[in-house]
Amino acid sequence: MAPTATRALIAVATVVPLIGLSLGPAGGIANPAGHSATLVAMAIAWLVHRRLPESPVAPALAWSSSAVSVSLVNDVLAASWYTDDPLPLAGVSRHLWVGLWPINLAGVFALLLVFPDGGRRGRYWSALPVMYALALAVMVFSGWDQRQPGGQVVGDQSSLQSMAGLVAVVLLAACLISAVASVLQRYRSGDERRALQFRWLVLAGATAVVLLMGGWLAEAFGASLDAAYTPFLLAIVLLVPASVGVAMVRHDLFDVDKFLSSGGSWLLTLVVSAVVFGVVVTTISRSLGESAGLGPAAAAFVTALVLLPLHRFSVVLVGRIVDRDRHVAVAQVEQFATDVRSGLQQPESIERVLRQAQGDPDLELVLWHPDGRWVRLSGETVDAPDDGIRVEVGGDTIAVVNLGWQSARARGRIADLTRAAWVTIEVSRLRTVLREALDEVGESRSRLADAAAGERRRLERDLHDGAQQRIVATGMRLRILQRHLGGTAEAELETAVAELEQTVRELREIAHGVRPVRLSDGLSAALETVRDASPVPVTLSVSEPMGLDETRRLTAYLVVSEAVTNALKHATATTIEVTVADQDGRVAIAVRDNGIGGVPELGPTALRDRVLSVGGQLTVHSPLHVGTTVRALL
Amino acid sequence: MSRGLRIVIAEDSLLFREGLVRLLSELGHETVAAVGDALTLRVAVGDNQPDLAIVDIRMPPDQDTDGARAAAAIKADHPAVGVLLLSQHIELRHCLALIGRPGFGYLLKDRVLHLADFDDALCRVAGGGVALDPEVVQALTRSRPAHDLALTPREREVLALVAEGQSNTAISSVLNLSERTVEAHMRSIFPKLGLVDDGTTHRRVSAVITYLESRPGPAR
Repeated sequence: MAPTATRALIAVATVVPLIGLSLGPAGGIANPAGHSATLVAMAIAWLVHRRLPESPVAPALAWSSSAVSVSLVNDVLAASWYTDDPLPLAGVSRHLWVGLWPINLAGVFALLLVFPDGGRRGRYWSALPVMYALALAVMVFSGWDQRQPGGQVVGDQSSLQSMAGLVAVVLLAACLISAVASVLQRYRSGDERRALQFRWLVLAGATAVVLLMGGWLAEAFGASLDAAYTPFLLAIVLLVPASVGVAMVRHDLFDVDKFLSSGGSWLLTLVVSAVVFGVVVTTISRSLGESAGLGPAAAAFVTALVLLPLHRFSVVLVGRIVDRDRHVAVAQVEQFATDVRSGLQQPESIERVLRQAQGDPDLELVLWHPDGRWVRLSGETVDAPDDGIRVEVGGDTIAVVNLGWQSARARGRIADLTRAAWVTIEVSRLRTVLREALDEVGESRSRLADAAAGERRRLERDLHDGAQQRIVATGMRLRILQRHLGGTAEAELETAVAELEQTVRELREIAHGVRPVRLSDGLSAALETVRDASPVPVTLSVSEPMGLDETRRLTAYLVVSEAVTNALKHATATTIEVTVADQDGRVAIAVRDNGIGGVPELGPTALRDRVLSVGGQLTVHSPLHVGTTVRALL
Repeated sequence: MSRGLRIVIAEDSLLFREGLVRLLSELGHETVAAVGDALTLRVAVGDNQPDLAIVDIRMPPDQDTDGARAAAAIKADHPAVGVLLLSQHIELRHCLALIGRPGFGYLLKDRVLHLADFDDALCRVAGGGVALDPEVVQALTRSRPAHDLALTPREREVLALVAEGQSNTAISSVLNLSERTVEAHMRSIFPKLGLVDDGTTHRRVSAVITYLESRPGPAR
């Protein structure tokens, strides 16, 4: 609606209680009080209008209270016609005195139709207000010329008028039922925000109903009508507009769901425990007679006994009805925690589950790392979260949840969810930390393995290109010297050169042990030297993966060499079979002997460490008297 | 030591290079150039057209197998120049294609200490023959099953010595056989390798190549 139109509607609505107040206490002292309360509702309507100038809710809100003032004013005007000093317009008013009452509900009807974000489109829905106006007109016709001084209807009614009255009531009922149906339907299909706004309305409506029931109770105990029903009327005139105002302007003012559900569950507990108390007192006094004090004492005992379980039960029950979303969400997280315990789910899925339960895809779980950082579940380090919901265990913050969508309700909801999930969060945090530590260990081990391989290569080169080279060069000098000397010196030099040659051979052996040079010609070439050195026949089948790095190639060589050495030393084998295969770019080694077996499953520590140093896997299969198979995947 | 050879030396260790130059002059050969890296080596060979190039396998610029790659380039550009690779260890990656070819040799460095054998090898390679270190021959033939090529163990021993570049006389003394027996073995070997006895040195080289190439290739 245009802001000018809504403003005009609220302005007219505001004038009505002012007129009512100007009439003074005519028609009873309750009238000025009613008009004053309506003015409060007007203030709320103006506030809503200021925030949402185009919303039809503000005028509907204004008229839901103001319509009551219209009815009150009309009563006063109509009554004055029959006095000596009739007020202006009393001549018209007196005809409407009996039939105008449906106007009381006109504002509420409009409110139900447009709350919270405007009326619905469609022929039926736009016809509803017309239908309501028609019902009002028919009702006015039905009560034309009748009077009701002091609430008592006086005057004759034709049969046509009686019929019209019946038709009007049916039309009114149809309109109101449609309006309520429309509210329910929009509540069901609406989004989170709309559902919340409706809940404010429910809060006010439920309070009004509770107060109405309280009124009945008070009346039954003999309170005056004014005392019994004034709280209810005030709730209708003040609480409903106030609730609607909050729903429109600040629907997340506080966690209305939680308020509703805890209030509801306490009320239920109270009522049921009172009933229990009453039943027990009655039963005991009936069966034992009026024996002094036993009844109330026993009743108090029984009530105290049932109070806690009863309250727990009513929290669940009311929560399920009033705050269904939260109930479902918490149950979802609890189910997840159970699944994690049973090994059906990974605790790392907690963030996804919280997002789903919270209905917030931007929710982030940030974990506290023991070395003073904040990390995501992936292990990625993030900035310290400045706000967010803290998850605490024993006073220590273990995690913070950053919400993508902030509100009092969202904060209350996530607090409940994290309370249900803290064990899972802690487990996923510890696992993240552990995984990171293991990754670090693995990386540093592989760096060490690379460094060791590089060191072996350097050492081998130093031996070959340094020491060996010098010795041979010295040998050459001796040979030249030898040719020029002759005699005993020549024989002596021959021995010296032979010594040098032996030294060179030994150095070559040492260098080979450090890193076989044939490794540069490929794993196959290097392993042939292992086979040739073995006193037991070794069959060799080598297929080296393309692009094998130096560290893994050297490790593969050393693993085979060590496994063969072990077989020769301990297994008393008569054949050894070595297979090196390319398994999707990894080196798959198998060394099989036909010896005595009985090697522990974990294999020799040195071999295991060597395989693990390049992130490989080692398995040893060694049945007694059958032989040993050592497998390694690098 | 039938004649003095004109030799180019490529060796990065100054100590070893100087020693080698003196040793060669002692053996009556002339060192026409002594260089320290693979690039200069190729220039020196082009400039001097020597009888023989003695090349260290590990040299600058890469300190890896520059010598072996330079040797291959020299054999391609100057087929008449003999190339003898010297190494502290057996490393065959880059010279497999050269092994067994005429005018190519591969020796461990400490072989130079046996002056007579070394000089023999120099002359053979410069003259288009072969000179392979026994360890090279062993490395190349170790994965070959004994029944391969239907050679008897004795024939394999003879052929391995041929591959090293030994003459029948040398073979007969190494194996403690009469020269006639060695010749008989050779005659029986040639047909088994599918070679016609045409009575030249070339035939011996062909035998070596056939023998070495018939092995399952090492990982390259």
